[in-house]
Amino acid sequence: MSEQPAVRSTVLDIIGNALNEPLDDLRARPVLAAHDWDSLASLEALAQFEYRFGITLDLRAFHAVRTVDQMVDLVAGAVAAKSPPAGDGSLSGNVAR
Amino acid sequence: MDGAEQLLAALGAAVDGGRAPDPAVLQALAHVEDPALLRRAGRLLGRLHLPGGQLPPVRVAILATGTVGPFEHLLRARLVAAGLLPVIEVGDYGTFDLALPSAGFAAAGDPDIVACVLDESLFLPDDWSPDLEALRGHVEARLADLRGMVAASLARTSATLVLHTVPLPAEVRDAFISSRARAALAGLWCRLNAGLLELAQEHRQVVILDLVGVLADAPVAARDDRLHRYADLPYTDGALLRLATEVRRIAQARAGLSRKVLALDLDNTLWGGVLGEVGAAGVQLGGLYPGNAYLELQRAAGRLRQQGVLLVLTSKNDPEPVQRALTSHPEVLLGPDAFSVRAVNWAPKPGNLRQAADTLGLPVRSFVLMDDSSFERALVTSELPEVAVVAADGDPAHLVRSLLGPGWFDVLDLTDTDRRRPELYRARAAHTAFSRQFGSPEDYLEALDIQVEVRPVSEFTVPRVAQLAARTNQFNLTGVRFDEAATAAMAADPGHLVAAFTVSDRLADEGVVGALWVRRGPRSWQVLNVVQSCRVIGRGVELAVAGWLARQARAAGADAVEGRFVPSGRNGVAADFWPRAGFAGPVADGVYTLSLTGAADPSPKWITLRERSDSLT
Repeated sequence: MSEQPAVRSTVLDIIGNALNEPLDDLRARPVLAAHDWDSLASLEALAQFEYRFGITLDLRAFHAVRTVDQMVDLVAGAVAAKSPPAGDGSLSGNVAR
Repeated sequence: MDGAEQLLAALGAAVDGGRAPDPAVLQALAHVEDPALLRRAGRLLGRLHLPGGQLPPVRVAILATGTVGPFEHLLRARLVAAGLLPVIEVGDYGTFDLALPSAGFAAAGDPDIVACVLDESLFLPDDWSPDLEALRGHVEARLADLRGMVAASLARTSATLVLHTVPLPAEVRDAFISSRARAALAGLWCRLNAGLLELAQEHRQVVILDLVGVLADAPVAARDDRLHRYADLPYTDGALLRLATEVRRIAQARAGLSRKVLALDLDNTLWGGVLGEVGAAGVQLGGLYPGNAYLELQRAAGRLRQQGVLLVLTSKNDPEPVQRALTSHPEVLLGPDAFSVRAVNWAPKPGNLRQAADTLGLPVRSFVLMDDSSFERALVTSELPEVAVVAADGDPAHLVRSLLGPGWFDVLDLTDTDRRRPELYRARAAHTAFSRQFGSPEDYLEALDIQVEVRPVSEFTVPRVAQLAARTNQFNLTGVRFDEAATAAMAADPGHLVAAFTVSDRLADEGVVGALWVRRGPRSWQVLNVVQSCRVIGRGVELAVAGWLARQARAAGADAVEGRFVPSGRNGVAADFWPRAGFAGPVADGVYTLSLTGAADPSPKWITLRERSDSLT
């Protein structure tokens, strides 16, 4: 997934902001439960993910996430899902005839 | 770094430096509509601690029937952007029904504002059935409960209670499969909201925001079902931001930060086109779009003027063609007389605005500028960052919304003086012309034949006096802003005196221009605050009032009167009031004292004082 590095950086920023912790701490301890990942912080991060990437996350999947890497995968998957399929910009299927 | 990160960095620098953000940063923050950014800004500003006086403080308690979510952060961002320093306490989850009637809002003492976030759960049973009559009975009973809670709360607090109308959730409405029943349910819900709105008519301390109306006109969802189910969060961030914006308007008006002057550009703002290029007959005004958009802006500005907002014309044009166009164009609604000051010339606008402020005797921070030129707006922002700017470029269809949406001119209540303000300020201009006929200021003041009347406040003057307390920043001796409830309570208490004073002269009747709040001890009277409208500064009115107060105190058997001056950074004009009135001091904490034994009367000889002490005992 080519956009994963950019997504990863933003996801880390957002989690760091929500937890008010330096990114190095997140990288050193990537398990979210090791931090103050309570409902307030998680909903703050959810709001920021959805706003920054223009996505809507499934709350069950969001709460199933345990680590920073899993969160990156979840967000990147949602970002990829909203992108149009590569190589087909045709709208012919939608044109009324 | 993008604009959002730059803004957060500027706010962070202010927080870390323990100083108020620059006015330009506050303006940028005020224009942010992105809740995600404002959440971050509000969280960051939670660490903003300032030495006294940099920003006026406001203490807010938040009570909610569900989860507050990011409301605290959004509200803080909005309040700081309005130039306030908020201290916000959030009530515990699930305690609304207890905290409201007991007024147990805040550990840090009685707040200034209690912002309530209500949702349908307050009015509906958990498991309701689609029986409209049963539902009606329950909703009406819960509304009666809420009325009782509000009344109980008001007996224990002097805070302003801010509540709002409640949207009817789609999942309730759509549960009724009969269209007739859905209409009846909607009617029931409208009556509930009407009942909520009536609370503001019943209690002067209560403000009801029309959240339903606001959300109907906003491109945001009221609810995110996921967050509602997961966290009992009844509103989306976007909806909470709209609510925070409305609460900010109340806090801003309550703190006396409302704007009083609207400075309007002419070309491509009050009409379409450039007068100098197309002539008066060629400008777009009235008729079909886009001329109707400019006409509506003139109507909107005219309505603001009817409510006391002063209009200033600021246009880079030759004055004669503008004068001709304003008087001869058949569609012009705002003729030359609508403007308290007209600055039509080729000089830079910041200088014109400064001069208009001097003419009106108002600070530039009471100005809003509406202009289509981004260059002019940027120039004014750079030189006069306290002036709020409204962009008039883009599609003219949005002009009225751009002007009115932010609520720059909001007040809690309108008084007669508000409505007469444009006329009063025209009288001020007449005073300026009259004064030029005299050799000395004293000759001028003698010729004015100034009449001052002081009398204890009545139910008719309490609103005006409370408004003066809220809005007067320059001649405000202690900065203590007694609101309507506190003023009325003190007026009814024999241990206190609240008096209002009016001023008239041969040119104008200024109405109620000032007030004083006094604690009446047996030996010593303590002046808690004196405020006076800047319209009458420089005529010695306050000295005549000080003389009146001394006589009242002496007649009541007191030996001394004490007064205080607390510098606010904006009240320097009143710094020497007590010494001028013959008070000695200051001693500790800015306290001045007048011994009533043999004290000279400081009243100026050009003022005739009409005393009304009949209700004093």
